[in-house]
Amino acid sequence: MTSRRALVVGAFVAGLALTLTGCSRSGPDSPLTAASTSRSASAACPAAWRSDWRQLANRVESPVFCPAWLPKPLNGRFAGSPFNSRAFGKDRSYLISYAWVDASSPGSVNEVHVVLRGYPGRTRIPVCDDTLTVSGKTVHKSIPCFNDPKGTKRFGRNVVTMYTANQGADLWHVLYAWHYRGSLYSVSEHVIAPYTYDQVVANLDRIMRRLALVQPSA
Amino acid sequence: MRLTRKQFVVGSAASALSVAGVYELVDRLGSSPSRVAAGSHPPEQHMLEGVRVLRDNGVEVVVPPLHHEVVTAKLRVGETPRELREARRVLEDALRKLDERFEPTPAGLGVTVAWGLPYFERYVPRQTAKHLPLDKRASAERGTPVRVLEDAIRFPSDPEKTRLEDNDVAMLLRSDSLDHVASGAKALFDDLQPLFRATSIRKGFVGGGFDGGPGLPKQMATAAGIDGADLIPHGAELFFGFTSTQKAGLGPSKIANLETLGYADLGPSAYFARGTHLHLSHIFEDLAAWYLALDFQSRLDTTFRPGLAVPEGVQTVPQGPRHAQSESDVRRDYVHYRQIGHSGSLQPASRLDRDVVADDGTRYPRGTAVPQRADFNTLDNPFFWTADEAGDAWSEVPAAGLHFVVFNPTSDDFRRGRLAMDGVMPDGTRLAFGTSSSGQGFNRLLTTTHRQNFLVPPRAHRSFPLSELAA
Repeated sequence: MTSRRALVVGAFVAGLALTLTGCSRSGPDSPLTAASTSRSASAACPAAWRSDWRQLANRVESPVFCPAWLPKPLNGRFAGSPFNSRAFGKDRSYLISYAWVDASSPGSVNEVHVVLRGYPGRTRIPVCDDTLTVSGKTVHKSIPCFNDPKGTKRFGRNVVTMYTANQGADLWHVLYAWHYRGSLYSVSEHVIAPYTYDQVVANLDRIMRRLALVQPSA
Repeated sequence: MRLTRKQFVVGSAASALSVAGVYELVDRLGSSPSRVAAGSHPPEQHMLEGVRVLRDNGVEVVVPPLHHEVVTAKLRVGETPRELREARRVLEDALRKLDERFEPTPAGLGVTVAWGLPYFERYVPRQTAKHLPLDKRASAERGTPVRVLEDAIRFPSDPEKTRLEDNDVAMLLRSDSLDHVASGAKALFDDLQPLFRATSIRKGFVGGGFDGGPGLPKQMATAAGIDGADLIPHGAELFFGFTSTQKAGLGPSKIANLETLGYADLGPSAYFARGTHLHLSHIFEDLAAWYLALDFQSRLDTTFRPGLAVPEGVQTVPQGPRHAQSESDVRRDYVHYRQIGHSGSLQPASRLDRDVVADDGTRYPRGTAVPQRADFNTLDNPFFWTADEAGDAWSEVPAAGLHFVVFNPTSDDFRRGRLAMDGVMPDGTRLAFGTSSSGQGFNRLLTTTHRQNFLVPPRAHRSFPLSELAA
């Protein structure tokens, strides 16, 4: 079968120079069954994570969405494991990545990778550069970073559009994107074992139902 | 409706022949399309009659049979003329009874018996040397005699582990009725076990969505829990979502016959006239990569040609002569985009480059497609049943794939088309691509596991061909 890694395109999100490409970074070895996050029904950002998300809101000078729930074994802190990385663009856009990888079984990889993005002050879908180099010639093609929309869903006041063909750190992910007060936000999850496509969609639904808005401090 | 993973029957070929396994779902999911009745059986084994043509997106589309099965085998028969004569009588008797029972249509049963080089070389070598047609075009180009039937080869984009098979015989069964296919398989293999030792059973499906509904590929892949199945478009004919049986994209009537285009020197008695060549391969398809890593435009670029403008969601794209790409078109795409499309790259090799008047007076205009495809999707991994589980890397876990079945006039004609798909143009120009390059059409998403070429004799000589000429 074709390797997923081989299909990762070198994506550069316009205005957001991020080093993350795909879901290949190794993560912690915590078991999938480990306790992950608060299961409270409220949409408040869990106390243990709140300061991280507040700092993020302050840094980008814009409201951000804290996921009060993440699929096991992820949690919403910005440090330790299984946190993956964060990146910022000059235009205040940001990317928060949580990844957990288990490659201990020969021939199979289990991976849970969730990416949250924000684009303060803009609502357009970013443009990615799909770079193809063949026989010494490099061809750059601009393509939407989020594409193949598959309809919309409403979660409270947020109406998300589901995209299934995405680039960069969202490659192989199902992605939900929505607008909030003139800004674009997204959350995506990689479709890979142990979660099936249906389970990933269910995870994203649950993340959306439990999103907590975090405002900058001042 | 999700199936459990273990739906396959393991054990003998006989038990596997009589059980549909995961494919029983096909009958519950797909309604048989209305069909036209046929007349008598044509001299060609590979041609189906009563095949419905409809219009989709303004394009004429051939509606293929829903169910397909290929059984490959080696012979248990001895090599003496007497043993061959008796074997021929028994097989022909079984085939004739099937002909009497079923008309050669999708509503009935299409039966095609094809023979591999191991049969010709072992059982009838002297007659083969005299009667197996020469490929005049390939012989002239290579400067040495080339038969219309050659061993299959690994192509540049094939993995090293692609298995080149050596079966004596392959039988293709096609019908809208799973029962008809099962009847055919039973009559030819279960009841004729003294003649054949089955090596593989390959099953699959195609279409089912032209008259509404999700179609069999989406339903079957979803039921089997295939990664990416949810993203197969509603009504798609095949897993990859685009219609592939545009009438203008398939070779018409007798064009794939050995004699039609004049590629073959049929020999002293034209024994194989009205016959053709069959290539059979199995290919895994990476559906998750197809739908999650490529957006609709990228899938269009990859399937047809870079930059093709088609409204979002269209499944049936025109493939007529005026839409076909020339060698210079493909080279231009390569220079400009460093990418070639699947259909576009094939067309310089698979379409006529000039008007041709066939031996029977039929005029085939430039741009006419030559190959007659009969490919079908499968959940086999790689086969429904195999006699060699280790050698074939068999697994009970369903996997999305394609059993590629195509009729060309010669092995070389198939080879030309397949090489073009890898960027080797008919004039020998090589459009350089690295292994698994995303510029190379479909190839990076396909993994070919098995290949073999066969000769399809005319109906009159379908049973142990040439054996009646033994001394």
